[in-house]
Amino acid sequence: MTDLILATVRMAVPLVFIALAELYSERSGMVNIGLEGLASIGALIGFLVTFTTGNSWLGILAGALAAILVNLIYAFATVTLCADHTVYGMAINIFAPALASFIYKAYFGEGSGLSQITLMQGVDIPVLKDIPFIGNLLFNQTPMVYIAFLLVILTGVFFNRTKAGLSYRSVGEHPKAAATLGINVIGVKYLGCVLCGALAGIGGAYLTTCYVNTYSEGCIAGRGFIALAAVIFGRWTGSGILLACLFFGLCDALQIRLQVASVGVPYQFFQMIPYIATVAVLAILGAKKAGPKAKGKPYRREQR
Amino acid sequence: MKKLIALVLVLAMAMSFAAPASAKTYKVAMICDSSISDGGWGTACYNAMIDAAAKMGWETAYTDSIAQNEYFDTADSYCQLGYDLIYAPGNQYTDAILQAAEEYPEICFALLNGAVTTPDKAVNKNVMSLLPDASQIGWIAGALAGLMTESGTIAFIGGMELDTTKGKYEGFGEAAKYVGGLKGKTINLLDCVYAGSFNDSAKGVEFAKAMIDKGADVFFGDASAVDSGARQAIDEANTAKGEIKIYDIGQPADILGQNPCVICSQVTDNSAMIVAAMQAVVDGNFGGTTLFGTMQNGCLSAGRISDLVPAAVQEEYQGYLAQMMDGTFMK
Repeated sequence: MTDLILATVRMAVPLVFIALAELYSERSGMVNIGLEGLASIGALIGFLVTFTTGNSWLGILAGALAAILVNLIYAFATVTLCADHTVYGMAINIFAPALASFIYKAYFGEGSGLSQITLMQGVDIPVLKDIPFIGNLLFNQTPMVYIAFLLVILTGVFFNRTKAGLSYRSVGEHPKAAATLGINVIGVKYLGCVLCGALAGIGGAYLTTCYVNTYSEGCIAGRGFIALAAVIFGRWTGSGILLACLFFGLCDALQIRLQVASVGVPYQFFQMIPYIATVAVLAILGAKKAGPKAKGKPYRREQR
Repeated sequence: MKKLIALVLVLAMAMSFAAPASAKTYKVAMICDSSISDGGWGTACYNAMIDAAAKMGWETAYTDSIAQNEYFDTADSYCQLGYDLIYAPGNQYTDAILQAAEEYPEICFALLNGAVTTPDKAVNKNVMSLLPDASQIGWIAGALAGLMTESGTIAFIGGMELDTTKGKYEGFGEAAKYVGGLKGKTINLLDCVYAGSFNDSAKGVEFAKAMIDKGADVFFGDASAVDSGARQAIDEANTAKGEIKIYDIGQPADILGQNPCVICSQVTDNSAMIVAAMQAVVDGNFGGTTLFGTMQNGCLSAGRISDLVPAAVQEEYQGYLAQMMDGTFMK
């Protein structure tokens, strides 16, 4: 049971970062479906920098910066040029993984063997970690796990308890009204894109610096899209997203454990679990609240 | 100036006429859904092509990390570029290759791990299956697993449910049970699990952790980068215990030394089979048949063995390998 919960947390953390990225983006009215691509470039650059410097913190920082740079392409096209969000998101999904594999091959050469790094060390808080059951769960993780949970809390406080958060949200709800109040709409949208790039890049870099000690192309493996679902699932709130990511993590951890534990049951049955659960929960929750009102719409200051 | 250009053009034309007169340079292209730098399947298949091409003096090209919907288009574009041989390392490319083979009757297609029935399905008889014997692959790893397991529980991680993966799993189990049985052990092979991916190393970490919890102490697999995630988890478990008691058997290249937990590798040398396929292209008798890769023809073997395996056990293992060579294993 403890192992299942630990596995859930491990699998949920990258999703939390990537889903928070989308939250910041959508709250400023920017629908970014390019998370998979942003996470890919974050994963590669994070791995490369950790590999060359031996410092996983630098790796994560570099991963975030690289994803911000890539996402600025999306930002310029959609905010300044008012291009379609979906098309550019998809373009990022195609462009960024290809860029990542190009850089990997340029650096390591073709057909080279496997390069490994030392993963970020966990911080185990003495005494507390020995508490049965919750000890290992809460007090024996890598710092990135704590940062993820802290970010969820800060995000909730920012959007619901601060004036700046309210201004930020208003850009996603009704940019014209926000502009009349003196809010720099374009600035907030760019800020949203920078935060989105940074968090998605961190999510990708987490995979290759804290989770797995090797890099393989395609290692994001659809997490960008699951994170997208988690935002809708979590109703565009920090805490909702955390629950959604933990839920996806639990389903995946569960299907892995069940495949291992079962005898004679077709494995496809277990692989279905995360998807069936998603369909079921979305059907129950319905789509009463469909997120920021102005998401996906171009903002032109001069237009009526 | 015009005269000069005319002269250059005439020269160029003359050169292009002259070129075919020299010996033809054959070209081979590989398409692959995993990365050629995954340290597993993709790397081994790519290196096999490079080795074979070096031996035969061919030119090579490759496209890796392609999605399922790109299999055909990628093969098609190499056909249009005039490649002589398209090399597709995996059973999953069968449909795409058969379609391309129908549209380009003059080009040869080699399907590594292709089914025995596939060459007959090609209307133009220009497809060849290169098939390493999956049972023998399983045996090579299984015999060592049977000798080395202490808990009696062994595990296998698959990427996707392919016929060859199932064959390896079965061979692994039957050899381990046979060898373990002779040593008085009861071998429990965990159900075959599938990551549903060859790239998601994180899944490999989770599968291995779950299997270690179930008592598994020797691992084998068929899942590229997913296996490297599994080896990471095994190393972590060993480090936590302070001694190496959980082992992994690598494949399809000799990866001893890559991770501390690796005790041996099952080595598949696909280059011998690719060389044979290339020779068939040159001789003009390519296609319509399946070329088997076995221990007997040098395609399959066991790699270097780690010091973690006691000398006596190594000797015993060599005995079993010799039996596999002369066909008396499990008989």
